[in-house]
Amino acid sequence: MRKESRYMRDVLKKQETMLGVSVTARKSFVEAMGGQRVLELVLIAVVFLVLVPFLGAHRVTDFAIFCIFALSFDLLYGYMGRLSFGHLLYLGVGAYTVGLSLRYVTTNPLLAIVLGVVAASLAGMAVGAVTVRVSGAAFALSNLAFNRVGWFLVMSPLKEITGGENGLSIRNLSFWLVNFRNPNFRFWFVLVALLGVFLFLRVLTASPYGVLLRSIKEDERRVRFLGYNTYFYKWITFVVAASIAGFAGALTALNYGYVNPNTLDVHANAGVVFACLIGGSGRLYGALLGGILYMLITNLLPIYFQRWEFVLGVALLLIVFRFRGGIWGGLEALRKSIVLRYNASSSKKGVSQ
Amino acid sequence: MELLVTEGLTKRFGGLVAVNEVNLRIKENEALGIIGPNGSGKTTLFNLLSGFFAPTKGRVVFRGKDVTRLSPEERVKMGMVRTFQLVSVFNSLKVWESLVPCIVWNSDIYHSLWKFMTTAVEEVRDNSIEALKLVGLKDYADSMTAELSYGDKRLLEIAFALAFQPKLLLLDEPFSGLSDVEIGKVLALLRSLKGKTTIGIIEHKISMIVDFVDRLCVMNEGRIICEGKPQEVLADPLVNECYWGKEEVVEEAPSSSAL
Repeated sequence: MRKESRYMRDVLKKQETMLGVSVTARKSFVEAMGGQRVLELVLIAVVFLVLVPFLGAHRVTDFAIFCIFALSFDLLYGYMGRLSFGHLLYLGVGAYTVGLSLRYVTTNPLLAIVLGVVAASLAGMAVGAVTVRVSGAAFALSNLAFNRVGWFLVMSPLKEITGGENGLSIRNLSFWLVNFRNPNFRFWFVLVALLGVFLFLRVLTASPYGVLLRSIKEDERRVRFLGYNTYFYKWITFVVAASIAGFAGALTALNYGYVNPNTLDVHANAGVVFACLIGGSGRLYGALLGGILYMLITNLLPIYFQRWEFVLGVALLLIVFRFRGGIWGGLEALRKSIVLRYNASSSKKGVSQ
Repeated sequence: MELLVTEGLTKRFGGLVAVNEVNLRIKENEALGIIGPNGSGKTTLFNLLSGFFAPTKGRVVFRGKDVTRLSPEERVKMGMVRTFQLVSVFNSLKVWESLVPCIVWNSDIYHSLWKFMTTAVEEVRDNSIEALKLVGLKDYADSMTAELSYGDKRLLEIAFALAFQPKLLLLDEPFSGLSDVEIGKVLALLRSLKGKTTIGIIEHKISMIVDFVDRLCVMNEGRIICEGKPQEVLADPLVNECYWGKEEVVEEAPSSSAL
């Protein structure tokens, strides 16, 4: 150990003499929250507030929860390049933990949320330790298998406490100032939660860790030859994504006052994949936009159009074949080309003058 | 003092013996060239040294420690860094960003997970650009890596390696696919490192490295058939035979011209 640290010192000393490079990063989480970040958060809040008069607070709360879930999925899929068909397991674990702990453990919904997140992250630790060893189809399907196991446990052996198909109604929705019976409280609580998750992921993805994740997505083998134990970083990412999904699950349970086995339904995984693709994977804004659009399509389209799934299918084909970066990626490309054109025309002017 | 020693290193792929009983010694701060015809086992040897494959038999000792069973990342930790024959960089990142994992690796950010996950990446931008200056890529810092030319990607990959301050730098055919100008750039960079760090270099074109290396090893059919000072090695009949074929061919030449 001592030898190792002496070696590191030696390395650092040599680094200064040979390369003239020394790393002195001192800014912390709080300092990193610049003015731009605050503006971003305000804009996101405004978008959700604008939706309220049209859709009602209850529905927009639903949208925001789904966006939290989509963000957690995007960390795994968009940033690390690991597509999972079993991410709903953690949503379910979060939801059931909240339901059960409010029944048997505590009367405080906030504590129940914490327990839900802890349970989801523990489940993520266990499952991730196995599944992040593989990638591609094996990763997607092994997660699907674990999701199935979760579904089976809820529906059959644990039926007595989870209520099986009937689900679980939640008692103790209010505690002191915290009142999850009030739709407005739920809306504001979830909105703040979404902004918190967004900020957290924004900091995370803009750190050296975020760069490492994108490197792993492109070429994991190369990253190992850069001296990083990729298994550990993939596992950490998996656990973070699972915890956030568990948080979304906890909020789902409190929003409905009821836990439904559908929160664990493996078929619903396609929805979050779709949301990330349509919005633009590997971009937090893409996940938000995709989450909102997906919820709009699935909530409103069936009212006007009986075969609404058709629209989803066509949109997915369009994205896969024409807009790989999703809508947000498309907007970014558009902005880039406009800037390039503007620069070109202004430099031309400079020459003519 | 020897930095790296291999003892009876062997790698079999089914019936093929790619590397056969290789005993290699690399001294500290020397530049060692490994040459040999296609399929002679040079790259496989590098893969064994860097931990990409486990050997079928034999040992790799690096800085006095047996590293035969260590993973690639653990060998990097000990100061052994390599580049790849086919340039391997991160096309989806900006040039300066792609260096960040290598830059922070030596810093305290890497050793605290919280700092590693929450420090803004812009904090190390200056350090990254400093490292790019060393390989002459400073002006491309904000470009996407995918937009770089092949030669510049090669320089970037060498910058990755240098950011670690390696004890041993293993370069797998650093000149392949480069133009003469680009080769000049890479060679100049390597010359500036000579004597400061240990360099192992595989090369196909002998002329490129003959003036650069201190010692030359020639591999053929998985074995080291000759090693020593570059000029001596090139004069060795065994080396000429494996590169140019047997003497008889040379003897036939005058008689055909007489006709």
